[in-house]
Amino acid sequence: MEYSESFRVGIRSIMAHKMRSLLTTLGVIFGVAAVIAMLSIGEGAKREALEQIRLLGTNNIRINAVKLTGDKAREAESKYSDGLSYKDGLLIRENIPSVRAVTPIRFIDAPVMKGNKEAAARIIGTDYLYPEVTSFRVEEGRFITPLDVSEAKRICVIGAKVKRELFGYRSPIGHRIRIGEEWFRVVGVMENKKLREGKASIIKIRDINRDIYIPITTALKRFRDEEKPLFVNEIAVQVKSAELVEPTARIIRRLLKRTHRDVQDYEIVIPAELLAQSRRTQRVFNIVMGSIAAISLLVGGIGIMNIMLASVTERTKEIGIRRALGATEQDILGQFLNETVLISATGGIIGIVLGVVMAKAINIFAGWETVIALYSVAVSFGISAMVGIIFGIYPARKAAQMDPIAALRFE
Amino acid sequence: MLIEAIDLHRVYRMGENEVHALRGVTFGIERGEFVSIIGPSGSGKSTLMHIMGCLDRPTSGSYILDGTPIEGLDDRRLSRLRNRKVGFVFQSFNLIQQLNVVENVEVPLVYMEMDRHERRERALQMLEAVGLGHRSQHRPNELSGGENQRVAIARALVTDPDLILADEPTGNLDTKTGHEIMELLKRLHEQGKTLIMVTHDLEKAKWSSRFIHMKDGKILHDFRDTDGTDIVGMFYESTMEQETQ
Repeated sequence: MEYSESFRVGIRSIMAHKMRSLLTTLGVIFGVAAVIAMLSIGEGAKREALEQIRLLGTNNIRINAVKLTGDKAREAESKYSDGLSYKDGLLIRENIPSVRAVTPIRFIDAPVMKGNKEAAARIIGTDYLYPEVTSFRVEEGRFITPLDVSEAKRICVIGAKVKRELFGYRSPIGHRIRIGEEWFRVVGVMENKKLREGKASIIKIRDINRDIYIPITTALKRFRDEEKPLFVNEIAVQVKSAELVEPTARIIRRLLKRTHRDVQDYEIVIPAELLAQSRRTQRVFNIVMGSIAAISLLVGGIGIMNIMLASVTERTKEIGIRRALGATEQDILGQFLNETVLISATGGIIGIVLGVVMAKAINIFAGWETVIALYSVAVSFGISAMVGIIFGIYPARKAAQMDPIAALRFE
Repeated sequence: MLIEAIDLHRVYRMGENEVHALRGVTFGIERGEFVSIIGPSGSGKSTLMHIMGCLDRPTSGSYILDGTPIEGLDDRRLSRLRNRKVGFVFQSFNLIQQLNVVENVEVPLVYMEMDRHERRERALQMLEAVGLGHRSQHRPNELSGGENQRVAIARALVTDPDLILADEPTGNLDTKTGHEIMELLKRLHEQGKTLIMVTHDLEKAKWSSRFIHMKDGKILHDFRDTDGTDIVGMFYESTMEQETQ
């Protein structure tokens, strides 16, 4: 029998029992939908983590200030460590040759106003190397220059969202805004970074489109912290090449240990390491989810086999008739196998649609980032067809090997 | 010769027991004959019919259909032979209920791998020939018994086989419809088809030109119709003989 004919017979048989076919394939539908939805969550989390880590820069090392409390705070005081400071940054820049650039980051908490409009912004004191280290570019105007830093000028570069809030679509260059009690002249606007605001992320990151950058020296002078005048929240270090990240981190660790007199009031974050870690987590997640999905597909397959066995028995007479009219064992085998594959593949397609809908629903209701990867669609469709073949072969063989005479007598 | 059967034996295993359905059957059938096989149940006539139709194989002995010995043919070749050379007509019609009338007639052509349009055309022609052209889109269960059997006959004829095997073709029909079906079969015979009919109805056996009487897996008598022979009378004579012996 030709394949197209076998296909037509299969479709007819499925359509003759719509409800039963649907129930039969339910296991596969949910199995495939689970695969698609799970993988979409995994893929979404992965992309988000990757994006955020890339934002930190894979060639970078971040040193974050850690706020100490209790005994540790007293210990730090007794050892005269005044936390992470601008000096640490300068020290790293001058003493470690594998470092390409170092930029300090100091967060300042102050209201940002223009006239009576207030912007929700985060003020960051940094220097002219910031765009290079973070690969975050200026769209309009310029960034902070070495001169701005050495003269501690009251200028600022604002993020795209801040600009939109305060200036709308007009150019803000040359205009003044008020930060705390001081007036700052806007000299540049940063590019608009498209960020997905996920909740399933591994590392929290601020919306950098809401940043306002001012020279680090201005930040230290105008928003002076009397106890720790040179305190910075972060130091971003860019290393010359990826292989040098690890050894450079080791040197920084040793250097800071000495200058901070063994006080752990800082932490060193290596985005490349986070990346590797997130990949490991991802792999475990995928294995667990894959196993769950595999089990549900297995159960689905057994369900299909069960119904097909019943169907073979039910259609014994038809098998006998077809054999008498010239069907070979192969023809009968093909007919039933084809029908099983059709059922499970149809289940696969419905499952894919359901999975995509589920992924969207998870995205909307749980707020998790979900990404449908093309490979997950292809893989789950392939698996559902495979389930059809594997679990269809036994009932189909049973049908093919039936004695035609006994089958004809069957009532 | 269309059919040559030489010393056919067929033994079934039923658990511990062996059942001898055929115990040495030898005969030949020429093209164009209309043969009735008659005998009580268990006489081996159904087994013989299945072997003649290439649905079963003899345990020993040889069966040659249209010059092809079926011995040693694999399933594919045997099925092909069955498909091309044999048309079955069953007592219970054996139409596939999920298919409509014309699709049922098409089934043998599907296994012949005939083109879809040609197939449909042939099937419709056959239905026309048995007088059911107007019923082609109906389901078998919407038709009467006689109509069902006509469809089955159209299906048996659609591959233009050398041999029509009819197993109690009127067994499920009333007298009048049975008569009509017999008329149809007779017409096929007159058109040159070779017909073998298994029946226990002597009235129906009268329609044939040859008469094989079976009992206990053997051929008891084999009469040929020479004009005006009363084969029913001969049958009774032969059974009387049997009983007196």
